[in-house]
Amino acid sequence: MAKPNLESRGKILAKLSEIELVNCFQCLKCTSGCTSLKLLELKPHEIIKLVNLGFVDELASSDIIWTCATCLKCVQRCPQKASPYHVIIALRNLTAEREAKVPEEYLKAVSQILETGLAETTQKVVTKKMETFDRESLKLPKINPPKESFQSTFLKILEEKGE
Amino acid sequence: MRTGVFWGCRILTSQYAYELSVRQVFPKLGVRLVDLREATCCGDPVKSVNIFAADYLAVRALALVNLTGLTDLLVPCNRCHFTISEAKNRMEMNGKLRLKMSKLLNEEGLEYSPNIKIWHVIDLLHDVVGLEKIKETVKKPFKGLKLASHVGCQIIRYSDLERVDDAENPRKLDELIGALGAETVDYAEKLDCCGAALMYGNSDSALSLAGSKIKALQNLVVDGLVVSCPACQSMFDSKQKDAETAVGAKLNLPVVYYTQLLGLALDIKEEKLGLHLNQSPVNNFLTKTLA
Repeated sequence: MAKPNLESRGKILAKLSEIELVNCFQCLKCTSGCTSLKLLELKPHEIIKLVNLGFVDELASSDIIWTCATCLKCVQRCPQKASPYHVIIALRNLTAEREAKVPEEYLKAVSQILETGLAETTQKVVTKKMETFDRESLKLPKINPPKESFQSTFLKILEEKGE
Repeated sequence: MRTGVFWGCRILTSQYAYELSVRQVFPKLGVRLVDLREATCCGDPVKSVNIFAADYLAVRALALVNLTGLTDLLVPCNRCHFTISEAKNRMEMNGKLRLKMSKLLNEEGLEYSPNIKIWHVIDLLHDVVGLEKIKETVKKPFKGLKLASHVGCQIIRYSDLERVDDAENPRKLDELIGALGAETVDYAEKLDCCGAALMYGNSDSALSLAGSKIKALQNLVVDGLVVSCPACQSMFDSKQKDAETAVGAKLNLPVVYYTQLLGLALDIKEEKLGLHLNQSPVNNFLTKTLA
């Protein structure tokens, strides 16, 4: 049987300064407009309820928090400023701090940024006529990478783990 | 007007048509674009792992603008626009965060400025350049072209932050399309998300969202879809063929950036606007327009 963990709940609340979770009265405006409801069964009002009850550990280890499309409709429409999107991001951060399962793409993006400043590497694009183009052949300017100070500062921040 | 430009990752690494067309159209309307000293990520993909680290990247972007002495910043990507706007808001609301960020920036010889106005392509064109000026500058207005607009999610929500347009009834992109002589349609799926953020880990659902919207528009019989975000364009244009299997339908809707459409109306050559890079069948649409 799952038991609430108030300490974990406290960790989430500490990450959410302006958001008033306890005011949620389950009106379901968030869930009824949720982009990920139909395909991925994300129900934002349930996330809020579970955090309020202290079932944070269960959420942090669940795949459901990674199904948010970040369309921000729930933030916009919540009459109580409970803001499910921000709660989901806080849960994802907690998962990352615990070094639990974070989808690989996010971690790849972070290490790519650390290395080059950008989350993605430059791609060659192939047109419908099967011609290949890159920045140079399109006469786009060279990309200037960040100065060396960036890498050390950003690494330091990442190692602090959001403290 | 001179403004800094923050391109973000996706435009610089794959959505070249957006960069090409933005660089083409703004100078023709009296807006000079100034590139920042460095190209960096806005922090968007980092948010899910470490929100503080993400905010640092966003705040650092504003500090890079500060180096140029400019007080305006054009951010053509919706996701970057939201990330930087939200971080700016947190810096305004939270003194402790501001101190901590300033210290870190100082280590890099950078300084934060709270006085930078963040623009997107849509509001810079609509509110600053203005519809009248656009109408006057247009050389080849469109006639008999029916288009749908997709503004995307993150530039219109949430309204506690300064956003580009109304959260539930955005009109500016439609008005900008109208200024070029084309007609726009209202449709039930207008505010539906492109699904791009779900490409990290839930790509089938992401493609299904994009494909459903395209399918709905094909049923409406429009000549094309107009977007203004590299994430949305990557879903509706670059991945349109991949979305076919996700929704079990043949998809062939022309999708263009607004800046490409504007460029055509300003009589800029197709290649200079990157129209050869679009994966959707823009050729059909071009013959229809320029005929």
